[in-house]
Amino acid sequence: MFAAIALPFIVPGIITALIWALPGDPASIICPPGQCPTEILKEEFNLDKGAWYFFLSWLGDALQGDFGTSWRVMTGVDVYELMMGSPADNQLVEPISAHLPNTILLLMLSLLPITIGAALGAMNKPTPKWDPILVSVGIIPIVVLSLLVAALVEINIDLDAENIAGRIKILAGALTLGIADAALSGSIIGVRGIFDRENKQRYVGVSILRGETVLSNTLPNVANSLVGQYRSRILHLLSGLVIVETIIGIDGIGRLLWKGTLKQDFGVVLATATAFAIISALLLLFQALLEAGIALHIRKAPKGVALTAEQK
Amino acid sequence: MKRVYLISAVSCLLILFFAAFKAPQHLTVGSVTSTYKYIQPLDMEKYDACLGVGKGQKSSQSSFGSGSNNNTDVRDSSYCNSVLLLGTNQKGTPLVEYATQGAKIVLIPSIVAGFVVAFLGVLGGLIRCFEAPILDSAVQLFAEVVGALPRMVVILVCALILPQDMRGLLPLAVLWAILASPTAMDEAGAVAGRLGGARFVEALRAHGFGSFRIYLYHIVALNLRPVVVRQGAEVMMQVVFLEVALSYLAVVESQPSFTHLDNLHSWADLLRMGYFSLIADKADTLHALVLGLALITLIVVTASSVSKAARAK
Repeated sequence: MFAAIALPFIVPGIITALIWALPGDPASIICPPGQCPTEILKEEFNLDKGAWYFFLSWLGDALQGDFGTSWRVMTGVDVYELMMGSPADNQLVEPISAHLPNTILLLMLSLLPITIGAALGAMNKPTPKWDPILVSVGIIPIVVLSLLVAALVEINIDLDAENIAGRIKILAGALTLGIADAALSGSIIGVRGIFDRENKQRYVGVSILRGETVLSNTLPNVANSLVGQYRSRILHLLSGLVIVETIIGIDGIGRLLWKGTLKQDFGVVLATATAFAIISALLLLFQALLEAGIALHIRKAPKGVALTAEQK
Repeated sequence: MKRVYLISAVSCLLILFFAAFKAPQHLTVGSVTSTYKYIQPLDMEKYDACLGVGKGQKSSQSSFGSGSNNNTDVRDSSYCNSVLLLGTNQKGTPLVEYATQGAKIVLIPSIVAGFVVAFLGVLGGLIRCFEAPILDSAVQLFAEVVGALPRMVVILVCALILPQDMRGLLPLAVLWAILASPTAMDEAGAVAGRLGGARFVEALRAHGFGSFRIYLYHIVALNLRPVVVRQGAEVMMQVVFLEVALSYLAVVESQPSFTHLDNLHSWADLLRMGYFSLIADKADTLHALVLGLALITLIVVTASSVSKAARAK
């Protein structure tokens, strides 16, 4: 719970601490004088007024939805607008994609393979004899799978039809994220392993003798482990987003973060990194709430079990 | 079987070390500098000699439009070996040089990252064996916070912040290792916990063993070794993939990578060449993709062999 609340503040805090911990002028560290107008950078982000001033002023603005303006990726454009997309009545020559919604859609879709994998694992399907194949598929690095998927999309999809191409790219990206780096195979094998261990417990045998289903008995006990595993897989997906979005060409915040890093756009990097931290914090919060709910559920007396007179 | 894994691990590491050692400072043919100008002309005489193109035969140089045909006597065996072993790209640059330069970029940082994770894993395991609840709680808090950070995001932020003269794969690899350490510490801690933690140490003390033997031999070498070596090998592999990914992303955006100097080329360049041959439906640089995938497989085999060779009997 502590990490969930602190994370959105920790990420910009770490960035601030790092900039001021390194020797030299903060503006020159972010972008060397030969490459950027450091005086403008200083003014833009209050870099000449000390670490605390910078951190608190940025945080105060960010809490009001003001993330400043991009000064290299799309000069002069609001970072908030870059993340959320340009409004319909915008006068810009080229409309800005809704980077954050695209990323959230991609993330949600990529949860499908993992969720299906978890369900299959709970049902002990496929059986362990398929594990070598699953592991072999899962071992493919995300950069390689993204590259192959990008080539497939490039060859087969008419990229001029921007709307359809965008949707297909998101679908392809979700599939890549859900399979590469052992996301799917890890989900199947991991969940199966948790249930295998639990099914060996004595109470499971007793529950079978009582005519109850195994899952209804084991699920509350393994739920915490399942939720923890699920969260770590989603975190892993968050890291993969940057690679998948950039290689397949999806306009998401991962790609925006990468562009910001390459072009040394400090405002964009700070805002997108915080957006990632908020997503991660929400996941932590969700996990904590779910764990609390499960703990409450387990503490309740099971229904339909009446105490005998002797037990009373 | 363990011996087979050990031989495989050592062989793979030797191949990587040899490749890194043989890596040239610059690509010999068609190489570019940071100003994007060719530094050497295409050496077609040598190349044709390697192909055995003699008098009266059509020379490969015809497609490039320079050089002479009397070249069977200029055969440079070391050059030919390098060219013919893995082929060249469209400019005539031997792909073996991409492979060796890529190995040079990733070798030391990935090994250092592996050792950092192994060290932190050992630390996590040993802390569980001490009677130190405050330290244990501090480690758990560290693991919770660091484990919740999306690794790639932190890497990119640090890549932006690091001063120009400090940029390279090594700091990013060490950072990646620190970000990956909570998993290793947690797993090593769980192993130590299963042993009995402080009670295990107490029991061995009762048998008359000294602290050095208990901690370094019984706990680290006998019990934590499989876990920390596996975690170290996995992180080593992840660092290589991280480098390939970051370099590939830089190539996609036509920017120099911050994981290596401009005169060096990552394995990502091989993948990029292969990608273009895939989408253009041309087979002329498809072998670059095959080579890139083979090198990635080599890393996977190395990591897997190292992990399996360190497994407990």
